[in-house]
Amino acid sequence: MTSRFEPFLGLSAELTAFSHFDLLGTGLAERYLATLDKVVGGEITDALLAAFTALPPPEGEARIQAVRTTILGNELLGDVARALIKLWYSGTWFELSSAWTERFGPRPANITFVVSPDAYIEGLLWKAIGAHPAGAKGPGFGSWASPPKIPAFSGSRFQNLT
Amino acid sequence: MYSYSIKTLDELKEFLYRAMQLEHATIPPYLTALYSIKPGVNQDATQVLRVIVVEEMLHLTIAANILNAIGGTPDLVRPDFVASYPAALPDGETDFKVSIQAFGREALATFLKIERPAQRPEHLVGKGLIYRKTPADITALASHPRHEDLHFYSIGEFYSTIAEGIKYLEAEAHGADTTIFTGDSSRQITSEYYYSGGGELFPVTDLKSALEAIELIIEQGEGDGGGIYDDDDHELAHYYRFEELVKGRYYQKGDQPGHPTGPQLQVDWEGAYPIKENLKVGDIFEGSELHEAAIAFNKRYGDFLQLLTRAYNGQPSLLLEAVPMMFEFRNMILELIRNPLPKHPGKNGSPTYEIPGSIKQPVTRQAEVNA
Repeated sequence: MTSRFEPFLGLSAELTAFSHFDLLGTGLAERYLATLDKVVGGEITDALLAAFTALPPPEGEARIQAVRTTILGNELLGDVARALIKLWYSGTWFELSSAWTERFGPRPANITFVVSPDAYIEGLLWKAIGAHPAGAKGPGFGSWASPPKIPAFSGSRFQNLT
Repeated sequence: MYSYSIKTLDELKEFLYRAMQLEHATIPPYLTALYSIKPGVNQDATQVLRVIVVEEMLHLTIAANILNAIGGTPDLVRPDFVASYPAALPDGETDFKVSIQAFGREALATFLKIERPAQRPEHLVGKGLIYRKTPADITALASHPRHEDLHFYSIGEFYSTIAEGIKYLEAEAHGADTTIFTGDSSRQITSEYYYSGGGELFPVTDLKSALEAIELIIEQGEGDGGGIYDDDDHELAHYYRFEELVKGRYYQKGDQPGHPTGPQLQVDWEGAYPIKENLKVGDIFEGSELHEAAIAFNKRYGDFLQLLTRAYNGQPSLLLEAVPMMFEFRNMILELIRNPLPKHPGKNGSPTYEIPGSIKQPVTRQAEVNA
Protein backbone atom coordinates (compact mmCIF):
# COMPACT_ATOMS: atom_id res chain seq x y z
CA MET A 1 0.00 0.00 0.00
CA THR A 2 1.27 3.45 -0.85
CA SER A 3 1.30 6.54 1.35
CA ARG A 4 -1.65 7.76 -0.72
CA PHE A 5 -3.84 4.80 0.10
CA GLU A 6 -4.56 5.63 3.76
CA PRO A 7 -5.65 9.23 3.04
CA PHE A 8 -7.73 7.96 0.12
CA LEU A 9 -9.47 5.48 2.40
CA GLY A 10 -9.99 8.15 5.07
CA LEU A 11 -11.42 10.55 2.53
CA SER A 12 -13.68 7.87 1.08
CA ALA A 13 -14.97 6.90 4.53
CA GLU A 14 -15.76 10.51 5.30
CA LEU A 15 -17.48 11.12 1.96
CA THR A 16 -19.53 7.91 1.90
CA ALA A 17 -20.32 7.53 5.63
CA PHE A 18 -19.20 3.89 5.40
CA SER A 19 -16.42 2.54 7.60
CA HIS A 20 -12.91 1.57 6.51
CA PHE A 21 -13.92 -2.06 7.06
CA ASP A 22 -16.92 -1.72 4.73
CA LEU A 23 -14.87 0.04 2.07
CA LEU A 24 -12.04 -2.48 2.18
CA GLY A 25 -14.67 -5.22 2.24
CA THR A 26 -15.68 -4.30 -1.30
CA GLY A 27 -12.20 -5.25 -2.49
CA LEU A 28 -12.24 -2.17 -4.72
CA ALA A 29 -10.47 0.59 -2.77
CA GLU A 30 -7.18 0.31 -4.65
CA ARG A 31 -8.95 0.16 -7.99
CA TYR A 32 -10.96 3.28 -7.17
CA LEU A 33 -7.81 5.20 -6.28
CA ALA A 34 -6.38 4.04 -9.60
CA THR A 35 -9.62 5.18 -11.29
CA LEU A 36 -9.20 8.68 -9.89
CA ASP A 37 -5.60 8.75 -11.10
CA LYS A 38 -6.67 7.55 -14.52
CA VAL A 39 -9.57 9.95 -15.01
CA VAL A 40 -8.50 13.23 -13.41
CA GLY A 41 -4.77 12.52 -13.16
CA GLY A 42 -2.33 12.13 -10.28
CA GLU A 43 -1.99 15.85 -9.68
CA ILE A 44 -5.66 16.55 -8.96
CA THR A 45 -5.95 13.31 -6.97
CA ASP A 46 -3.00 14.42 -4.85
CA ALA A 47 -4.59 17.83 -4.36
CA LEU A 48 -7.78 16.12 -3.14
CA LEU A 49 -5.85 13.89 -0.75
CA ALA A 50 -3.83 16.88 0.50
CA ALA A 51 -7.05 18.81 1.16
CA PHE A 52 -8.31 15.85 3.18
CA THR A 53 -5.06 15.51 5.15
CA ALA A 54 -5.14 19.23 5.99
CA LEU A 55 -8.62 19.04 7.55
CA PRO A 56 -9.00 19.97 11.23
CA PRO A 57 -9.25 17.00 13.65
CA PRO A 58 -12.27 14.70 13.28
CA GLU A 59 -15.52 14.94 15.24
CA GLY A 60 -15.52 18.76 15.40
CA GLU A 61 -17.80 21.35 13.84
CA ALA A 62 -14.73 22.95 12.28
CA ARG A 63 -14.02 19.79 10.33
CA ILE A 64 -17.52 19.64 8.89
CA GLN A 65 -17.18 23.25 7.82
CA ALA A 66 -13.80 22.53 6.29
CA VAL A 67 -15.05 19.48 4.37
CA ARG A 68 -17.67 21.80 2.87
CA THR A 69 -15.42 24.68 2.01
CA THR A 70 -12.08 23.10 1.09
CA ILE A 71 -13.36 19.92 -0.58
CA LEU A 72 -17.03 19.87 -1.61
CA GLY A 73 -17.20 23.64 -2.15
CA ASN A 74 -13.88 23.86 -3.96
CA GLU A 75 -14.29 24.47 -7.69
CA LEU A 76 -11.59 22.05 -8.74
CA LEU A 77 -12.12 19.34 -6.09
CA GLY A 78 -15.87 19.51 -5.43
CA ASP A 79 -17.05 17.76 -8.60
CA VAL A 80 -14.27 15.19 -8.31
CA ALA A 81 -15.28 14.40 -4.69
CA ARG A 82 -18.92 14.05 -5.72
CA ALA A 83 -17.96 11.75 -8.58
CA LEU A 84 -15.95 9.70 -6.08
CA ILE A 85 -19.01 9.33 -3.83
CA LYS A 86 -21.07 8.17 -6.80
CA LEU A 87 -18.28 5.79 -7.77
CA TRP A 88 -18.32 4.13 -4.34
CA TYR A 89 -22.09 3.89 -4.27
CA SER A 90 -22.70 2.64 -7.80
CA GLY A 91 -19.39 1.30 -9.12
CA THR A 92 -19.77 3.75 -11.99
CA TRP A 93 -17.61 6.78 -12.75
CA PHE A 94 -19.98 9.54 -13.85
CA GLU A 95 -18.49 11.98 -16.34
CA LEU A 96 -17.58 15.32 -14.75
CA SER A 97 -19.70 18.29 -15.78
CA SER A 98 -18.94 20.31 -18.90
CA ALA A 99 -18.48 23.38 -16.67
CA TRP A 100 -15.65 21.53 -14.92
CA THR A 101 -13.96 20.43 -18.16
CA GLU A 102 -14.31 23.92 -19.67
CA ARG A 103 -12.59 25.39 -16.67
CA PHE A 104 -9.93 22.78 -15.95
CA GLY A 105 -9.49 21.17 -19.34
CA PRO A 106 -10.90 17.95 -20.80
CA ARG A 107 -9.60 14.60 -19.67
CA PRO A 108 -9.67 11.80 -22.25
CA ALA A 109 -10.73 9.15 -19.71
CA ASN A 110 -13.48 11.31 -18.26
CA ILE A 111 -16.46 9.44 -19.64
CA THR A 112 -19.20 7.57 -17.81
CA PHE A 113 -18.12 3.94 -17.32
CA VAL A 114 -18.57 0.98 -14.97
CA VAL A 115 -15.20 0.21 -13.38
CA SER A 116 -15.65 -3.58 -13.41
CA PRO A 117 -18.37 -6.22 -13.04
CA ASP A 118 -17.59 -6.58 -9.34
CA ALA A 119 -17.72 -2.78 -8.90
CA TYR A 120 -21.39 -2.97 -9.84
CA ILE A 121 -21.91 -5.86 -7.43
CA GLU A 122 -20.10 -4.20 -4.54
CA GLY A 123 -21.74 -0.78 -4.94
CA LEU A 124 -22.43 0.68 -1.49
CA LEU A 125 -25.91 1.68 -2.54
CA TRP A 126 -27.09 -1.92 -2.21
CA LYS A 127 -25.85 -2.11 1.34
CA ALA A 128 -27.25 1.34 2.14
CA ILE A 129 -30.76 0.28 1.18
CA GLY A 130 -30.53 -3.27 2.50
CA ALA A 131 -31.00 -4.77 -0.95
CA HIS A 132 -28.87 -6.78 -3.32
CA PRO A 133 -27.65 -5.93 -6.82
CA ALA A 134 -30.06 -7.25 -9.43
CA GLY A 135 -28.63 -10.43 -10.88
CA ALA A 136 -25.92 -10.86 -8.27
CA LYS A 137 -25.34 -11.63 -4.57
CA GLY A 138 -28.74 -13.27 -4.35
CA PRO A 139 -30.05 -13.37 -0.78
CA GLY A 140 -31.69 -16.79 -1.12
CA PHE A 141 -35.17 -18.17 -1.59
CA GLY A 142 -37.78 -16.66 0.69
CA SER A 143 -35.45 -13.98 2.05
CA TRP A 144 -37.93 -11.32 0.95
CA ALA A 145 -40.10 -12.45 3.83
CA SER A 146 -37.66 -10.74 6.20
CA PRO A 147 -37.16 -6.98 6.48
CA PRO A 148 -34.05 -5.53 4.78
CA LYS A 149 -30.91 -5.12 6.87
CA ILE A 150 -29.86 -1.51 6.68
CA PRO A 151 -26.53 -0.67 8.31
CA ALA A 152 -26.18 1.93 11.02
CA PHE A 153 -24.16 4.68 9.40
CA SER A 154 -21.00 5.66 11.16
CA GLY A 155 -21.07 9.05 9.50
CA SER A 156 -24.44 10.30 10.65
CA ARG A 157 -22.66 13.36 12.01
CA PHE A 158 -22.38 14.54 8.44
CA GLN A 159 -26.10 14.52 7.80
CA ASN A 160 -26.10 18.31 7.51
CA LEU A 161 -23.46 18.31 4.80
CA THR A 162 -25.73 18.23 1.81
CA MET B 1 -15.69 -58.66 14.72
CA TYR B 2 -12.62 -56.84 15.92
CA SER B 3 -12.53 -55.25 19.35
CA TYR B 4 -13.13 -51.75 18.00
CA SER B 5 -16.47 -52.58 16.48
CA ILE B 6 -19.69 -50.95 17.64
CA LYS B 7 -21.59 -53.10 20.12
CA THR B 8 -24.21 -50.85 21.70
CA LEU B 9 -26.81 -48.44 20.41
CA ASP B 10 -25.35 -45.62 22.52
CA GLU B 11 -22.00 -46.21 20.93
CA LEU B 12 -23.54 -46.10 17.47
CA LYS B 13 -25.21 -42.79 18.34
CA GLU B 14 -21.86 -41.37 19.45
CA PHE B 15 -20.26 -42.56 16.20
CA LEU B 16 -22.98 -40.84 14.20
CA TYR B 17 -22.54 -37.66 16.21
CA ARG B 18 -18.85 -37.84 15.27
CA ALA B 19 -19.80 -38.42 11.65
CA MET B 20 -21.81 -35.19 11.72
CA GLN B 21 -18.88 -33.45 13.38
CA LEU B 22 -16.58 -34.79 10.67
CA GLU B 23 -18.85 -33.75 7.79
CA HIS B 24 -19.25 -30.30 9.27
CA ALA B 25 -15.50 -29.98 9.82
CA THR B 26 -14.87 -29.93 6.06
CA ILE B 27 -17.26 -27.04 5.51
CA PRO B 28 -15.25 -24.13 7.07
CA PRO B 29 -12.05 -24.98 5.12
CA TYR B 30 -13.90 -25.41 1.80
CA LEU B 31 -16.09 -22.36 2.33
CA THR B 32 -13.17 -20.14 3.28
CA ALA B 33 -11.09 -21.27 0.31
CA LEU B 34 -14.09 -20.68 -1.97
CA TYR B 35 -14.64 -17.11 -0.79
CA SER B 36 -10.93 -16.29 -0.74
CA ILE B 37 -10.91 -16.43 -4.55
CA LYS B 38 -10.67 -12.95 -6.05
CA PRO B 39 -13.47 -11.74 -8.30
CA GLY B 40 -13.10 -12.47 -11.99
CA VAL B 41 -10.60 -15.33 -11.71
CA ASN B 42 -10.67 -19.07 -11.05
CA GLN B 43 -14.18 -19.71 -12.26
CA ASP B 44 -13.52 -23.45 -12.59
CA ALA B 45 -12.16 -23.68 -9.07
CA THR B 46 -15.06 -21.64 -7.73
CA GLN B 47 -17.51 -24.01 -9.35
CA VAL B 48 -15.72 -27.13 -8.03
CA LEU B 49 -15.51 -25.79 -4.47
CA ARG B 50 -19.11 -24.62 -4.50
CA VAL B 51 -20.42 -28.01 -5.61
CA ILE B 52 -18.33 -29.83 -3.03
CA VAL B 53 -19.23 -27.63 -0.10
CA VAL B 54 -22.92 -28.08 -0.91
CA GLU B 55 -22.44 -31.85 -1.00
CA GLU B 56 -20.71 -31.75 2.39
CA MET B 57 -23.80 -29.99 3.76
CA LEU B 58 -25.83 -32.83 2.28
CA HIS B 59 -23.61 -35.37 4.06
CA LEU B 60 -24.10 -33.54 7.35
CA THR B 61 -27.84 -33.79 6.87
CA ILE B 62 -27.67 -37.46 5.85
CA ALA B 63 -25.70 -38.26 9.01
CA ALA B 64 -28.40 -36.43 11.01
CA ASN B 65 -31.06 -38.55 9.26
CA ILE B 66 -29.30 -41.78 10.24
CA LEU B 67 -28.90 -40.59 13.83
CA ASN B 68 -32.58 -39.62 13.95
CA ALA B 69 -33.58 -42.97 12.48
CA ILE B 70 -32.16 -44.83 15.46
CA GLY B 71 -33.72 -42.49 18.01
CA GLY B 72 -30.69 -40.26 18.53
CA THR B 73 -30.60 -36.50 19.05
CA PRO B 74 -28.48 -34.48 16.60
CA ASP B 75 -26.69 -31.75 18.52
CA LEU B 76 -24.63 -29.18 16.61
CA VAL B 77 -24.26 -26.95 19.63
CA ARG B 78 -22.47 -29.49 21.82
CA PRO B 79 -19.26 -27.79 22.99
CA ASP B 80 -16.91 -29.95 20.92
CA PHE B 81 -19.01 -29.98 17.74
CA VAL B 82 -17.07 -27.36 15.80
CA ALA B 83 -13.45 -28.35 15.29
CA SER B 84 -10.67 -26.07 16.38
CA TYR B 85 -8.39 -25.55 13.38
CA PRO B 86 -5.95 -26.93 12.51
CA ALA B 87 -7.72 -30.21 13.20
CA ALA B 88 -6.40 -33.71 12.58
CA LEU B 89 -7.96 -36.19 10.16
CA PRO B 90 -6.85 -39.74 9.48
CA ASP B 91 -5.08 -40.48 6.21
CA GLY B 92 -3.44 -43.86 6.17
CA GLU B 93 -0.94 -44.48 8.93
CA THR B 94 -0.53 -40.83 9.91
CA ASP B 95 -2.90 -37.99 10.64
CA PHE B 96 -2.79 -34.81 8.67
CA LYS B 97 -3.92 -31.34 9.61
CA VAL B 98 -6.83 -29.50 8.08
CA SER B 99 -6.52 -25.74 8.16
CA ILE B 100 -8.57 -22.67 7.39
CA GLN B 101 -6.58 -21.15 4.55
CA ALA B 102 -6.82 -19.36 1.23
CA PHE B 103 -7.34 -21.17 -2.06
CA GLY B 104 -3.99 -22.28 -3.40
CA ARG B 105 -1.77 -25.29 -3.98
CA GLU B 106 -1.36 -25.97 -0.27
CA ALA B 107 -5.10 -25.86 0.38
CA LEU B 108 -5.73 -28.21 -2.54
CA ALA B 109 -3.11 -30.67 -1.29
CA THR B 110 -5.06 -30.80 2.00
CA PHE B 111 -8.40 -31.15 0.25
CA LEU B 112 -7.08 -34.08 -1.76
CA LYS B 113 -6.03 -35.74 1.49
CA ILE B 114 -9.48 -35.18 2.99
CA GLU B 115 -11.17 -36.96 0.09
CA ARG B 116 -8.49 -39.56 -0.73
CA PRO B 117 -9.83 -43.09 -1.20
CA ALA B 118 -7.79 -45.02 1.36
CA GLN B 119 -7.81 -48.80 1.46
CA ARG B 120 -5.45 -50.51 3.85
CA PRO B 121 -2.39 -52.06 2.29
CA GLU B 122 -2.30 -55.84 2.68
CA HIS B 123 0.14 -55.92 5.58
CA LEU B 124 -2.19 -53.76 7.69
CA VAL B 125 -5.44 -55.59 7.00
CA GLY B 126 -7.05 -56.76 10.24
CA LYS B 127 -4.45 -54.97 12.37
CA GLY B 128 -6.94 -52.81 14.26
CA LEU B 129 -6.72 -49.07 14.76
CA ILE B 130 -3.54 -47.02 14.46
CA TYR B 131 -1.79 -45.15 17.25
CA ARG B 132 -2.26 -41.45 17.00
CA LYS B 133 0.89 -39.40 16.55
CA THR B 134 -0.88 -36.04 16.71
CA PRO B 135 -0.56 -34.15 20.02
CA ALA B 136 -3.52 -34.41 22.39
CA ASP B 137 -4.38 -30.70 22.17
CA ILE B 138 -5.26 -30.95 18.46
CA THR B 139 -8.90 -31.77 17.67
CA ALA B 140 -8.92 -35.28 16.23
CA LEU B 141 -11.82 -35.93 13.87
CA ALA B 142 -13.29 -39.34 13.02
CA SER B 143 -11.79 -40.86 16.15
CA HIS B 144 -13.16 -43.84 18.06
CA PRO B 145 -15.19 -42.74 21.12
CA ARG B 146 -13.64 -45.42 23.34
CA HIS B 147 -10.10 -45.06 21.98
CA GLU B 148 -9.18 -41.41 21.63
CA ASP B 149 -5.51 -42.35 21.34
CA LEU B 150 -6.12 -44.40 18.22
CA HIS B 151 -7.38 -43.50 14.78
CA PHE B 152 -8.96 -45.22 11.83
CA TYR B 153 -6.90 -45.82 8.74
CA SER B 154 -9.23 -43.59 6.73
CA ILE B 155 -12.57 -41.84 6.76
CA GLY B 156 -13.87 -44.73 4.65
CA GLU B 157 -12.88 -47.14 7.42
CA PHE B 158 -14.61 -44.93 9.99
CA TYR B 159 -17.84 -45.15 7.97
CA SER B 160 -17.44 -48.89 7.36
CA THR B 161 -17.28 -49.35 11.12
CA ILE B 162 -20.56 -47.45 11.40
CA ALA B 163 -22.15 -49.57 8.64
CA GLU B 164 -20.98 -52.79 10.32
CA GLY B 165 -22.30 -51.51 13.66
CA ILE B 166 -25.71 -50.80 12.17
CA LYS B 167 -25.87 -54.29 10.60
CA TYR B 168 -24.74 -55.97 13.83
CA LEU B 169 -27.14 -54.10 16.11
CA GLU B 170 -30.08 -54.49 13.73
CA ALA B 171 -29.45 -58.26 13.46
CA GLU B 172 -29.28 -58.45 17.24
CA ALA B 173 -32.53 -56.50 17.54
CA HIS B 174 -34.17 -58.73 14.95
CA GLY B 175 -33.28 -61.73 17.11
CA ALA B 176 -35.32 -60.14 19.88
CA ASP B 177 -38.13 -59.34 17.42
CA THR B 178 -37.51 -55.62 17.43
CA THR B 179 -35.49 -53.02 15.46
CA ILE B 180 -33.02 -50.25 16.13
CA PHE B 181 -34.92 -48.00 13.71
CA THR B 182 -37.32 -46.61 16.28
CA GLY B 183 -36.83 -42.92 15.51
CA ASP B 184 -39.75 -40.61 14.75
CA SER B 185 -39.94 -40.48 10.95
CA SER B 186 -41.23 -36.89 11.00
CA ARG B 187 -37.69 -35.85 12.02
CA GLN B 188 -36.27 -37.06 8.71
CA ILE B 189 -35.04 -34.31 6.39
CA THR B 190 -36.23 -34.96 2.84
CA SER B 191 -35.80 -33.11 -0.45
CA GLU B 192 -38.96 -31.14 0.30
CA TYR B 193 -36.93 -29.05 2.76
CA TYR B 194 -33.64 -29.36 1.02
CA TYR B 195 -33.78 -28.75 -2.71
CA SER B 196 -30.79 -28.41 -5.05
CA GLY B 197 -28.66 -29.45 -2.15
CA GLY B 198 -26.05 -31.60 -3.87
CA GLY B 199 -28.02 -34.81 -4.22
CA GLU B 200 -31.15 -36.63 -3.24
CA LEU B 201 -32.21 -36.73 0.37
CA PHE B 202 -34.25 -39.78 1.24
CA PRO B 203 -35.69 -40.74 4.61
CA VAL B 204 -33.73 -43.31 6.61
CA THR B 205 -36.16 -45.77 8.15
CA ASP B 206 -34.55 -49.17 8.01
CA LEU B 207 -31.34 -51.09 7.46
CA LYS B 208 -31.46 -50.77 3.70
CA SER B 209 -31.92 -46.98 3.61
CA ALA B 210 -29.31 -46.49 6.36
CA LEU B 211 -26.67 -48.41 4.41
CA GLU B 212 -27.60 -46.56 1.22
CA ALA B 213 -27.16 -43.27 3.04
CA ILE B 214 -23.65 -44.22 4.19
CA GLU B 215 -22.84 -45.44 0.70
CA LEU B 216 -23.86 -42.06 -0.76
CA ILE B 217 -21.56 -40.17 1.60
CA ILE B 218 -18.59 -42.38 0.79
CA GLU B 219 -19.20 -42.40 -2.97
CA GLN B 220 -19.53 -38.64 -3.32
CA GLY B 221 -16.32 -38.14 -1.40
CA GLU B 222 -13.91 -40.84 -2.38
CA GLY B 223 -15.54 -42.39 -5.38
CA ASP B 224 -16.84 -45.90 -5.71
CA GLY B 225 -14.11 -48.35 -4.77
CA GLY B 226 -11.40 -46.25 -6.37
CA GLY B 227 -13.43 -45.49 -9.52
CA ILE B 228 -13.61 -41.84 -10.50
CA TYR B 229 -17.38 -41.75 -11.00
CA ASP B 230 -20.14 -42.86 -8.65
CA ASP B 231 -22.05 -46.06 -9.39
CA ASP B 232 -24.48 -44.33 -11.75
CA ASP B 233 -21.47 -43.14 -13.69
CA HIS B 234 -22.60 -39.52 -13.86
CA GLU B 235 -21.00 -37.80 -10.92
CA LEU B 236 -17.30 -37.32 -10.36
CA ALA B 237 -16.10 -37.96 -6.79
CA HIS B 238 -14.71 -35.01 -4.79
CA TYR B 239 -11.19 -36.37 -4.85
CA TYR B 240 -11.11 -36.35 -8.65
CA ARG B 241 -12.75 -32.92 -8.91
CA PHE B 242 -9.93 -31.48 -6.81
CA GLU B 243 -7.43 -33.44 -8.86
CA GLU B 244 -8.77 -31.81 -12.03
CA LEU B 245 -7.73 -28.44 -10.62
CA VAL B 246 -4.25 -29.67 -9.72
CA LYS B 247 -3.76 -31.27 -13.13
CA GLY B 248 -5.42 -28.43 -15.06
CA ARG B 249 -7.60 -30.79 -17.04
CA TYR B 250 -11.12 -32.19 -16.78
CA TYR B 251 -11.89 -35.89 -16.54
CA GLN B 252 -14.14 -37.50 -19.10
CA LYS B 253 -15.87 -40.85 -19.32
CA GLY B 254 -13.46 -43.73 -19.72
CA ASP B 255 -10.51 -41.98 -18.05
CA GLN B 256 -8.29 -43.81 -15.61
CA PRO B 257 -7.75 -42.33 -12.10
CA GLY B 258 -4.88 -39.84 -12.17
CA HIS B 259 -5.09 -39.35 -15.96
CA PRO B 260 -7.77 -36.86 -16.97
CA THR B 261 -7.98 -36.38 -20.74
CA GLY B 262 -10.86 -33.89 -21.05
CA PRO B 263 -10.68 -30.16 -21.87
CA GLN B 264 -8.04 -28.02 -20.18
CA LEU B 265 -8.99 -25.65 -17.37
CA GLN B 266 -7.24 -22.58 -16.05
CA VAL B 267 -6.23 -22.12 -12.43
CA ASP B 268 -4.73 -18.85 -11.21
CA TRP B 269 -2.82 -19.99 -8.13
CA GLU B 270 -2.23 -16.39 -7.10
CA GLY B 271 -5.88 -15.43 -7.56
CA ALA B 272 -6.85 -15.49 -3.88
CA TYR B 273 -6.63 -13.04 -1.00
CA PRO B 274 -3.67 -13.78 1.31
CA ILE B 275 -5.59 -14.72 4.44
CA LYS B 276 -3.75 -15.65 7.61
CA GLU B 277 -3.98 -19.38 8.16
CA ASN B 278 -6.07 -20.59 11.11
CA LEU B 279 -6.68 -17.08 12.35
CA LYS B 280 -8.15 -16.74 15.86
CA VAL B 281 -10.09 -13.79 17.22
CA GLY B 282 -7.30 -13.41 19.78
CA ASP B 283 -4.84 -12.66 16.94
CA ILE B 284 -6.88 -9.72 15.70
CA PHE B 285 -6.06 -6.29 17.09
CA GLU B 286 -8.75 -5.52 19.65
CA GLY B 287 -10.70 -2.41 18.88
CA SER B 288 -10.36 -2.88 15.13
CA GLU B 289 -13.44 -3.18 12.95
CA LEU B 290 -12.10 -6.54 11.77
CA HIS B 291 -12.10 -7.80 15.36
CA GLU B 292 -15.75 -6.84 15.76
CA ALA B 293 -16.67 -8.33 12.41
CA ALA B 294 -14.94 -11.63 13.20
CA ILE B 295 -16.86 -11.88 16.48
CA ALA B 296 -20.12 -10.96 14.74
CA PHE B 297 -19.57 -13.70 12.17
CA ASN B 298 -18.86 -16.32 14.85
CA LYS B 299 -22.01 -15.34 16.69
CA ARG B 300 -24.08 -15.61 13.52
CA TYR B 301 -22.51 -18.97 12.73
CA GLY B 302 -23.46 -20.11 16.23
CA ASP B 303 -27.06 -19.00 15.53
CA PHE B 304 -26.92 -21.05 12.34
CA LEU B 305 -25.82 -24.22 14.18
CA GLN B 306 -28.63 -23.68 16.69
CA LEU B 307 -31.11 -23.33 13.86
CA LEU B 308 -29.83 -26.53 12.23
CA THR B 309 -30.08 -28.35 15.55
CA ARG B 310 -33.74 -27.36 15.85
CA ALA B 311 -34.34 -28.29 12.20
CA TYR B 312 -32.83 -31.74 12.75
CA ASN B 313 -34.88 -32.21 15.93
CA GLY B 314 -38.36 -32.20 14.50
CA GLN B 315 -38.68 -28.83 12.73
CA PRO B 316 -37.35 -29.56 9.23
CA SER B 317 -39.07 -26.49 7.75
CA LEU B 318 -36.53 -24.32 9.61
CA LEU B 319 -34.00 -25.38 6.98
CA LEU B 320 -35.66 -22.92 4.62
CA GLU B 321 -34.63 -20.13 7.00
CA ALA B 322 -31.07 -21.40 6.99
CA VAL B 323 -30.71 -20.61 3.30
CA PRO B 324 -30.71 -16.78 3.50
CA MET B 325 -28.42 -17.12 6.51
CA MET B 326 -25.84 -18.90 4.39
CA PHE B 327 -25.97 -16.09 1.81
CA GLU B 328 -25.45 -13.67 4.66
CA PHE B 329 -22.32 -15.66 5.62
CA ARG B 330 -20.99 -15.25 2.12
CA ASN B 331 -21.17 -11.47 2.42
CA MET B 332 -19.69 -11.48 5.93
CA ILE B 333 -16.84 -13.81 4.94
CA LEU B 334 -16.00 -11.79 1.82
CA GLU B 335 -15.65 -8.64 3.92
CA LEU B 336 -13.42 -10.37 6.48
CA ILE B 337 -11.20 -11.81 3.76
CA ARG B 338 -10.80 -8.53 1.84
CA ASN B 339 -9.70 -6.56 4.88
CA PRO B 340 -6.03 -6.42 5.83
CA LEU B 341 -5.17 -7.93 9.21
CA PRO B 342 -3.92 -5.14 11.48
CA LYS B 343 -0.28 -5.61 12.54
CA HIS B 344 0.24 -8.51 10.11
CA PRO B 345 1.59 -6.88 6.96
CA GLY B 346 0.62 -8.70 3.77
CA LYS B 347 -2.00 -10.84 5.53
CA ASN B 348 -5.76 -10.49 5.39
CA GLY B 349 -8.53 -11.37 7.79
CA SER B 350 -10.60 -14.54 7.76
CA PRO B 351 -13.54 -16.08 9.55
CA THR B 352 -12.24 -17.92 12.63
CA TYR B 353 -15.18 -20.29 13.29
CA GLU B 354 -14.76 -20.00 17.06
CA ILE B 355 -18.32 -20.48 18.15
CA PRO B 356 -19.39 -18.73 21.37
CA GLY B 357 -20.26 -21.17 24.13
CA SER B 358 -18.36 -24.00 22.51
CA ILE B 359 -14.90 -23.55 23.97
CA LYS B 360 -13.24 -26.88 23.57
CA GLN B 361 -12.43 -28.81 26.71
CA PRO B 362 -9.04 -30.51 26.61
CA VAL B 363 -9.52 -34.14 25.72
CA THR B 364 -8.11 -36.67 28.11
CA ARG B 365 -6.69 -39.44 26.05
CA GLN B 366 -6.97 -43.06 27.04
CA ALA B 367 -3.19 -43.32 26.90
CA GLU B 368 -2.80 -40.57 29.45
CA VAL B 369 -5.28 -42.17 31.79
CA ASN B 370 -3.42 -45.45 31.59
CA ALA B 371 0.01 -43.90 32.07
